[in-house]
Amino acid sequence: MSATPFPAPGQSPPLPPDRDRPMDAVALKAPDRLEALRRRFRRPLELVSRGVVGQLVALAFVFAIFGVGTAGAYFSARNVLTILGLAGPPMIVCLGIHLVIVIGGMDLSTEGVITLVAVICGFLIKNSFTPYDLGFWVVPIAIAIGALAGLVSGVLSTAARMPSFIATLGMWWVAQGTAVIVDRGNSVKMLDPRFQDITNGDTLGLPNTILIALLLFAALWVLETRTRFGRYMYAIGGDEALARQAGIKVARVKVLVFTLTGAIYGLAAVILSSRLAASNPRIGNGQLFPAMTAVAVGGVSLSGGVGGALNAVFGTLIVVALNDGMVLMKLSPYVQNAVNGIVLILAVALTIDRKKIGIIK
Amino acid sequence: MAEPVLELRGIEKRFPGVLALRGIDFEVRPHEILGLVGENGAGKSTLMKILVGLERPDAGEITLHGRPVVLDGPESAIRHGIGMVFQDGCMIRNLSVLDNLFLCHEDPFERFGFLSPRRMAERARAQLEVVGLRGLDPRAQMGDLSAAQRQMVEVARLLWLSELYRVENPTLILDEPTTVLQEGEVRILFSLLSELKKRASIIFISHRLEEVVQHSDRVYVLKDGEHVATMERTSPQAPVAEVPRVARLMVGHELSAEHYRESMQSEPGGEVVLRVRGLKKEGAFKDFSLDLHAGEIVGLVGLLGSGKEEVCRCLMGAVRPEGGSIEVRGRPVRFMTPKDAIAVGVGCVPIDRRNDGLATSLDVSDNINLLVLRRLLAGPFLDPRRERENADRWVRECLIKTPSLRALCGNLSGGNQQKVVIAKWLAAQVRVLILDHPTRGIDVGAKDEIYARIRTLAASGMSLLIMCDTLEEDIGLSNRLVVMKDGVVVREIPCAARQKPAPVEVVSYVV
Repeated sequence: MSATPFPAPGQSPPLPPDRDRPMDAVALKAPDRLEALRRRFRRPLELVSRGVVGQLVALAFVFAIFGVGTAGAYFSARNVLTILGLAGPPMIVCLGIHLVIVIGGMDLSTEGVITLVAVICGFLIKNSFTPYDLGFWVVPIAIAIGALAGLVSGVLSTAARMPSFIATLGMWWVAQGTAVIVDRGNSVKMLDPRFQDITNGDTLGLPNTILIALLLFAALWVLETRTRFGRYMYAIGGDEALARQAGIKVARVKVLVFTLTGAIYGLAAVILSSRLAASNPRIGNGQLFPAMTAVAVGGVSLSGGVGGALNAVFGTLIVVALNDGMVLMKLSPYVQNAVNGIVLILAVALTIDRKKIGIIK
Repeated sequence: MAEPVLELRGIEKRFPGVLALRGIDFEVRPHEILGLVGENGAGKSTLMKILVGLERPDAGEITLHGRPVVLDGPESAIRHGIGMVFQDGCMIRNLSVLDNLFLCHEDPFERFGFLSPRRMAERARAQLEVVGLRGLDPRAQMGDLSAAQRQMVEVARLLWLSELYRVENPTLILDEPTTVLQEGEVRILFSLLSELKKRASIIFISHRLEEVVQHSDRVYVLKDGEHVATMERTSPQAPVAEVPRVARLMVGHELSAEHYRESMQSEPGGEVVLRVRGLKKEGAFKDFSLDLHAGEIVGLVGLLGSGKEEVCRCLMGAVRPEGGSIEVRGRPVRFMTPKDAIAVGVGCVPIDRRNDGLATSLDVSDNINLLVLRRLLAGPFLDPRRERENADRWVRECLIKTPSLRALCGNLSGGNQQKVVIAKWLAAQVRVLILDHPTRGIDVGAKDEIYARIRTLAASGMSLLIMCDTLEEDIGLSNRLVVMKDGVVVREIPCAARQKPAPVEVVSYVV
């Protein structure tokens, strides 16, 4: 017992033999059989609610249904690659939003920020309106503009002590409006073909967009699981007051998270506009709700502190696979919307931890 | 005698309306368990908050190992080797054990900006072993641990921090550690503490006096923000002091009878308004019976965990009892929700009025009328004139000091908020009112008005069941005391005016 790796001055003497009985021998003893039973079944349930086992099952379920429904066409390599190609951009957006959700916040500025970044970049890449041609320098500029927008949202929600829901809703309006002012309602053609080559191309048979998304996932996964910053994010999402009490600089972590999320929106904006080979003030439309759905379906708790980048990835895959399948089966778009809603509600109903929340608003 | 590790001299702390600590001298010696006792509101938690840097004293000085220090936050307290295990715990439940252990002090495990989970887990295992949690997986979620385990993880964290900052003989504060434990766990806790004492000093706060006198080396008694006595262990085996002696010191002198408006105390009527028989709730209390007469004030007395809170929660309909019967004015009733209780005229003024008693974001009028909206209707719509009249009547009746009927309750003082809660129940014309710590956090003047209000309510025939902040208050206000201990009623003590029992006598049944 005294083999502690960091012996301190005045290291404790070994416990006497009568103290050898570990505390958990008593503490873990189930008071009755019901409790024992509950414990036995809690472990697998935990895996479902905390990991991505549930999401894997859901994904398998989606594949099974559409596999049968399309008589196997759904399983074709071409379709799987289509799904992966479609999943790239929403996955990047979803990876961005989930960071804010993990710290217990909310981000509604997604579409506005993406649009604003896209129209600014549209004028900086070789285009049909302005003489600029910055080439790939546009990428860091886009990320910087997105980060700046995120920084403002973060500062508003911490320094000005506003709910992030409101701060980012305001940011959405402002960014959306600014984008139209900058762009004057034009659709700006992108004349630098290298961007399209990248976003529409493949590497080793896989669509580049999904590869970019997976690289981003890897970076965020390391951030969340292998750095202090990641720990602090989860601590804040779990209980902000206690995190502050433990000495975490809560406001700083929060601002950084919003900034990072904004930077990821910047990246998404470049990819979305280069895929279209144009930018316009509607480019961000329809990005927020699918990403939010993916966050929830993936098992990232909307009350904060639970779920990570892996959940965001699987959430996006489920949502994209589902919609791809419905298109293949030629379901009406209205039916598709309704199905998305039902899946979202079911996913949250099954995974939400109601014990943690006293009053659900 | 060894030089004290930690010394406080002349500590004073004032809160609005109260002097919480006056001239406190306090010392912690190396390798000792120091028991700290006092009634609720005696200043224990304020004193401890000063030690961990959550509060700054208004006067006095703190010295550590003979050197004066300023403790201006939990961070600086930790660097000086002072840490506290809070009663309700301060671990983040969605993080793993090892994340919690090292939270905010991960530097030793960081290399090039990345943490090494493997080294953290190794270190965590070693650290958990020190506190007797061998075999606990450091990757387990904090929220899945038992209360006993959580407590020990917190102790492990504090010990680790003291190693990290190279503090010899750190001071660990344990606030009511045994209330959340089962009997076997309590035994283990104490054998662990006597081990830990070889490398740290421990301040042990508890309401269970037997434990304190049995396991402490010294006992420090606080009363009304003042130090009244310190007792020291004379022989290694004997307890520090006799329980009744400590109890007497805690409760102290008797207050003048008029403090509780005793001359206004009325004799209860004959009618039994609330009859409870054999009420039980697994794990909380059993076989609870009570006859509450019209106009009677019954004080429910017991320690935290004696089951009195749960009894009240059953009587107000917030918790469903598992057995027994309740009759209100001769009619058997079953409460599924608080609404059922209100319907037969049983109301409750809860302890946490800001969260449970009042809608602080609504105004005075809305709060008073909340339960009687049906009576204020004109057709299908609320009649603003009747709303105003009803609210106005009760504001004047209860002497609520508010700028207007439309003032938000959140902006009123504690005493006036409490009056609004009471007014709400009076407006609803309840026959039985449960008062859960009605004077908590209320200044002296408003307290007196509440006492007077309680007396007039009883005189008008309302029956009251009260649980107070101090035993003196219970004794002073009640017609009768019902003493609970470990979930059962152990004694009923009559408390007629001018024939009040001495607090010491009551305490002997309580502990």
